[in-house]
Amino acid sequence: MQTIYTLTQTLVDGLLIGGIYAVISIGLSLVFGVMHIVNFAHAEFLMIGMFVAWYAWAWLGLDPMLGAFLALGVTFLLGMGMQRVLIKPILAAPQVAQIFLTVGLLFALENAALLLFGADYRSVSTPYQTEALSLFASGGERIIVPYAKLFAFLMALGLGASVWLFLQRTRTGQAMRATAQDATAARLMGIDTDRMYMLAFGLGTGTTAFGGAVILPYITASPTVGSQYVVLMFTAVVLGGLGSVAGAVVGGLLVGLIQSFSALVLPIQLQNLILFVIFIAVLALKPEGILSRRTG
Amino acid sequence: MTAPLLETRNLTRRFGGLVAVNGVSLSVSAGEIVGLIGPNGAGKTTFFNLLVGLFPPSSGEVLFEGARISGRRPHVIARAGLTKTFQNVALFMESSVLDNVVTGALLHSDLGAARAQARATLERVGLAAVAEVRAGELSFPERARVEVARALCTRPKLLLLDEVMAALTPPEMEEIIALVRSLRDEEGIGFIVVEHHMKAVMKLCERIVVLNFGEMIGDGRPEAIANDDRVIEAYLGGGFRRPDRAGGSDDADGAGGAKGARA
Amino acid sequence: MARRGTLAAYGGLAILFALLPLVLDPRGYEMRVLCLVLLFAALGQAWNLVGGLANQISLGHAAYFGIGAYASTILQQVAGLSPWIGTLAGMALAALLALLLSVPTFRLKGHYFALATLAAGEAMRVIANSWSDLTGGPVGISVPFNPGSSVWMMQFQTVRPNYYIFLVTLILVTALFWRIKTGAMGYRLRAIKENEQAAEVIGVDTYRVKLVASLLSAAITAFLGTLYAQFQFFFDPDTIFGLAAFSVKMALVAILGGVGTVAGPLIGAAFIIPMEELANSYFGNSAAGLSQFAYGIVLVAVILVNPYGIVALFARLRGGRRRDRASRGGEARP
Ligand SMILES: Nc1ncnc2c1ncn2[C@@H]1O[C@H](COP(=O)(O)OP(=O)(O)O)[C@@H](O)[C@H]1O
Ligand SMILES: [Mg+2]
Repeated sequence: MQTIYTLTQTLVDGLLIGGIYAVISIGLSLVFGVMHIVNFAHAEFLMIGMFVAWYAWAWLGLDPMLGAFLALGVTFLLGMGMQRVLIKPILAAPQVAQIFLTVGLLFALENAALLLFGADYRSVSTPYQTEALSLFASGGERIIVPYAKLFAFLMALGLGASVWLFLQRTRTGQAMRATAQDATAARLMGIDTDRMYMLAFGLGTGTTAFGGAVILPYITASPTVGSQYVVLMFTAVVLGGLGSVAGAVVGGLLVGLIQSFSALVLPIQLQNLILFVIFIAVLALKPEGILSRRTG
Repeated sequence: MTAPLLETRNLTRRFGGLVAVNGVSLSVSAGEIVGLIGPNGAGKTTFFNLLVGLFPPSSGEVLFEGARISGRRPHVIARAGLTKTFQNVALFMESSVLDNVVTGALLHSDLGAARAQARATLERVGLAAVAEVRAGELSFPERARVEVARALCTRPKLLLLDEVMAALTPPEMEEIIALVRSLRDEEGIGFIVVEHHMKAVMKLCERIVVLNFGEMIGDGRPEAIANDDRVIEAYLGGGFRRPDRAGGSDDADGAGGAKGARA
Repeated sequence: MARRGTLAAYGGLAILFALLPLVLDPRGYEMRVLCLVLLFAALGQAWNLVGGLANQISLGHAAYFGIGAYASTILQQVAGLSPWIGTLAGMALAALLALLLSVPTFRLKGHYFALATLAAGEAMRVIANSWSDLTGGPVGISVPFNPGSSVWMMQFQTVRPNYYIFLVTLILVTALFWRIKTGAMGYRLRAIKENEQAAEVIGVDTYRVKLVASLLSAAITAFLGTLYAQFQFFFDPDTIFGLAAFSVKMALVAILGGVGTVAGPLIGAAFIIPMEELANSYFGNSAAGLSQFAYGIVLVAVILVNPYGIVALFARLRGGRRRDRASRGGEARP
């Protein structure tokens, strides 16, 4: 029998990690929403964000919570450049070409990291790393909230809210949403859609990199770290509806909760299996996955 | 009396709050040529999609040769002898015209026989010259004719034609009218024809059904329909008094107008 | 005429490959590379049945490959069963998985289908890693050593017999692909690829056609998994169910060579596998990841240069000529 404390702790853990999944999934969903490209390489930007934050910590002594902004900036520019050189030429290409271009990019980025940084695991040490909030302590029972996870969660929340405000409240954000809805109509309204694509890709990669950077205090960085997040990220995005930013947040939180609650009943290796099954089921049942029914 | 070839009972389809087809009950006998008219957005294409099984109806049912077919998958319905052409043309654009038509013929024949049947059908619809051309390279009127040929090769008992005469010149329309007539006379195929061009519809069809906002508001002989005040009011709006003067201008009504009016 | 010429070219190629081992060291490195070329050409061909003809881009075919490899190897370990028999179990299991997967994926297209199959492949990897009692877990599994060359146990002194098994398999799979592509099934698969709804409306049972193609594809892939296990003698879950090592590579072989074509996987494999081996032996372990890096870059570059693949490039040149003729014809018509 699970105590109320265990269940609450599981809920807290799930939300803390879910917040991170949310922010890294926002980026992926944004890219799909605006240019209808499923970027299989997207999780590599999480890895890049981690390394940027790690070097910022090692060389400049910057805490990863600050390094995250550097990661955001660097990958924003990197993402814009890649969109320009790699993604733009295949926007109208067959989907099979789009899929394999981003898969190729995945290999290139992962192995470029291996060449540049080596296969070693890298971690940072911060003053708050081993500290934790202890809530509702009574009779040996308590809810533990590690500061590292709490800070990462709050940072993710802050960025997620900023992206949302940007999309809702700024002219550029509105133009981006217009482009997502109907690029042709947006062009007719005088929106520079090519610029919107570049910005959206940069913002998408930047957001995900930010999410990678803030978890550095409790997750070690390595060139292959991205691969652990690919399916998680896609599950979150598909749960919330491919292309929807708010949906990605809900999806991310859900994935975090599913993971932490399934850990109560399943061996750790099988946690992801549940996610795979949910992922496939959701893909099959979501209307976006089903053939477009508009026929003439 | 034998069962009608096609019968719909209270056929209804909703898209969210919009009722695209509303309680349509219609029966069509074997070998009939029925015109289906109505303004853009009236639900004609949706009605066809319900008949061939692309959408399940929200309520009501479809009977073909007395058997219930609503809820069955489109290929089952095609095998039973009911298929359609697509208004916005849904050819296999990367394949040759011949291969498009062969794919239809494979429903009842092996490959060798299907090829022969496809060639004969292309000959009949006047497309033999472009048999080897990629479908994507054809003009719109040619594509519509490939649609007809492909559908014919499935050996339908009832064929639904969705605006195959759009963008045709008058002589080309005459060709299609003659083709439909001869297919009915020689092979007993029945047709439901959606067409905006009133003169063509009047000339081709022995019976006309009118849809407006998803509801059937008229069903009768062409002359009767042409003089039905309700039809004239609904279909032609206040602008026209007599349908035979409406000839060429009805292609112009944009889809947006009809949609906007319903929103 | 053209068809007879093509047939002669394929025949010549087959004879060339049949004679090649006579001039190569049967224990040499070149033979191993050639075996992999044949293996991946056959894998590409199997993938092409669904990925190429129906444009259902699977990123999870390693699931079937791994099932084939594990099934025959485990049956050998526990029951001493010949891999020729064991592979039948693998093929059946792979087909069963394809059947199960078809339920949630039969309406999916494009990216969505790719994502779902990717997850299926990854799921198999997780299962193989965690079901250690059966698979040996993450440390991998070895084919039991049977000294002495034996056709029945598919174990030989050199890789020359393996080579011929690969070659014969490739020829059979290619012939099968060709038959399907040019037969009624090929028409139906192409119809699904180009317009699934239209295909249904003119009587194609799209679900059944896709299912039959993927069952065949899965079973062949599983058989190739057994051949690979008997060739390699050792494998682990992360490799055999790996995205990069098999799922993507077998698709890539078909795509780079020209998706949906008979020659595509042959050209793709002849290009990718030696290139990769070359990069591996050239850079060796001095720089881990360099060959994979180069692989990714080449992939990106090839797609940027021509998103339709190498064979399609030729086809497009030919198509261009035909288009000219067709449009001239078009002008002549009223
Ligand atoms: N798949 C669909 N989803 C939502 N609305 C649809 C769909 N198909 C048709 N509609 C709507 O149903 C109405 C009838 O459309 P349609 O059948 O195409 O009319 P018609 O063919 O008579 O012009 C229109 O308002 C159209 O927007
Ligand atoms: Mg219509």
